[in-house]
Amino acid sequence: MAVLEVSGLAKTFRIPEVHRNTVRDHALALFRPRRFRDLPVLADVTFQLAKGETLAIMGRNGCGKSTLLKIIAGIYQADRGDVRRHAGITPILELGLGWNPELDAIDNVYLMGAVLGLTLGEIGAAMDDILAFAEVGPFASLKLQHYSSGMAARLAYAVAFHAVREVLVLDEIFAVGDVGFIMRCQDRYRALSAAGHAVLLVSHDPRIVSTFCHRAILLEGGTIVMDDTPGRVVEEYLKLVTAGR
Amino acid sequence: MNGVRQGTLTPGALSGLAWTLVRTDFKTRYQPTVGGFVWALLKPFAMFLVLIAVFSFIFGGDPAYRFYLIIGLFLWDFFAEATKHGLVSLQAKSYLLNKAPFPSWILVVTAASNALITLAVFCVVITVFLAAAGRAPGVGALALFLLYLVQYTLIVLGFSLAASVLFLRYRDLNQVWDVAIQAGFFVAPIVYPLSIIPERFHFFLYLWPPTPIIQFSRAVLVDGTVPTARAHAFLALETLVVFGAGVLLFRALAPRVAEYL
Repeated sequence: MAVLEVSGLAKTFRIPEVHRNTVRDHALALFRPRRFRDLPVLADVTFQLAKGETLAIMGRNGCGKSTLLKIIAGIYQADRGDVRRHAGITPILELGLGWNPELDAIDNVYLMGAVLGLTLGEIGAAMDDILAFAEVGPFASLKLQHYSSGMAARLAYAVAFHAVREVLVLDEIFAVGDVGFIMRCQDRYRALSAAGHAVLLVSHDPRIVSTFCHRAILLEGGTIVMDDTPGRVVEEYLKLVTAGR
Repeated sequence: MNGVRQGTLTPGALSGLAWTLVRTDFKTRYQPTVGGFVWALLKPFAMFLVLIAVFSFIFGGDPAYRFYLIIGLFLWDFFAEATKHGLVSLQAKSYLLNKAPFPSWILVVTAASNALITLAVFCVVITVFLAAAGRAPGVGALALFLLYLVQYTLIVLGFSLAASVLFLRYRDLNQVWDVAIQAGFFVAPIVYPLSIIPERFHFFLYLWPPTPIIQFSRAVLVDGTVPTARAHAFLALETLVVFGAGVLLFRALAPRVAEYL
């Protein structure tokens, strides 16, 4: 049974040749026609994610992986195509960015947790676990502006891992922290997978894709050029990225 | 997109988010300053002291002038503060919009919370102030005043909803609005009585939302008179137009806000 069905997804960004993003720019260029350049990112993407499955998306930089995840998560809108979600999705995207630097860790966790769909009671109950998982317990009342980028990213993972609904969408998982933290993330991830959560993850790391995933797809030129076992897709991906060298 | 709708939060999560936004906004704005929240009240009050000193020489003949002035100033301060914060609300919270889908209007609505808290405190202060001067407003007057404040808030929210999504496309809109606010202070009859302006211009002044709110509030609180049914209908229509336009524009543009961050 599929928890996520993506069909015929297309997305093109219209990039203006000259950026006009102020009232002043528009007023000065009132009668000059605007020229746009179309930047097609996704042309036609179709795939399904089954319950309990871990699916990797591989592809070169700029092939549209992150855009695809944002559309699936509901942050971006597709131009064409359909995303059918049969279960709740928790996105873990662009972590490490995106805290309010003037607030301490506890308030930031409340904000992020609420945005990810947790109630205040749930966040409060999980607070100690979240801070411990991120190893920032002693700095809980320190403003985020004083955090290192590693600490901030660990905190983001910790919140997201506690907010997980049926489907987890991950961009560049396990890219932060020291070995100890990465191992804890992997343990947590294995526990989620064992509990029947489906996972969609983007990674450039052949080892992660081979170790954690049941299946992989290769994105190139806005479409899926390969949908196969992780081993075969990794092989093809490596050929693709080394082809021009 | 059917099945599970992405981007909707349960009522529990949504109210938790709203409360956290209000709480943290209050904290970041007032905590770093000595005296904290008192400053928010002090600003319009200091303005009152300066203006009363200057303008009581001109308009001082009217014993109600000081009440007119303080009501005008606080109502104006609410409008200026709430719209300025509403305009930048989506941009200021872009770090949340990029993370997960959730109803983004909650960011715009909660951005008005600090200004609303200040306004609520002012309502108590002005009632006490009037009572101390032997002009205690009756229940009916206070009820009408409350109705005006509700409409005022809807107007502010309508503006904020529209401006917050437009600001992501026009990045100097906040500067344009700063200028408009500066001019608007003199369009609204705050320091001068409306009667010094020729009658034929009154209609245009009433199109600027703070004008009817300030005038009607003064009428019920200070003069003890009630504006006509036609005047009330005008305000209701103005509220409906501004709020309705704001909601429609927001609904049209909000789904793509993340792409403009």
